[in-house]
Amino acid sequence: MDNKKILIVDDNADIRLGMHVRLKANQYETLFAADAFTAVTEARKHRPDLIILDLGLPAGDGFTVMERLKHTPFLAVIPVIVVSARDGLGNQKRAFEAGAKAFLQKPVNDAELLAVVRQALGEPAGIKTHAPAHKALV
Amino acid sequence: MTKATRPSSELPAYLSHELRNALACIQQFGNILIDGLAGELSGEQREYIGIMLENASKIRSVLDSALDGTERPL
Repeated sequence: MDNKKILIVDDNADIRLGMHVRLKANQYETLFAADAFTAVTEARKHRPDLIILDLGLPAGDGFTVMERLKHTPFLAVIPVIVVSARDGLGNQKRAFEAGAKAFLQKPVNDAELLAVVRQALGEPAGIKTHAPAHKALV
Repeated sequence: MTKATRPSSELPAYLSHELRNALACIQQFGNILIDGLAGELSGEQREYIGIMLENASKIRSVLDSALDGTERPL
């Protein structure tokens, strides 16, 4: 069976790389976008199984991305997990209203992120084998 | 927005946002090393990274208590 594809949207390259290493070690395939425009373009092109979305992005923000996804039926069904350094109080409520499945505030606990990812993908909770992931250009 | 033009009322939210992003990277890569995802570590190396992560957690606690509720302007 093919690995699930996860689109990581964050303007911080280090965050993208760290998530890539963690997700790859758990047998997920990763795609990347560093701004709101590219996020929608990549989602349209690759149809990921899940999107991990930062809120503060160039060329729009995470809310703009969720709004754009909603307008296309095959994109609207992709679950979105918001992972943001913004204050959780107002943004969490707004993210859920925009359709996010989960809101995590940075810095995110790896186990929590993986649990939320599995839940959003409808996978059973549990530990996957940690195979070493090699550093890749993100 | 540059430091010179940022209103002082936005400073806590700005600090919270920037520090959380930096902390996220420290914790992410520290855990990647501890978990052996970039190769096996010696006991001493693991101990030192453990100390680093423990202190990163302390910074997070300070952040949570000192800067929580400082809504970032949208």
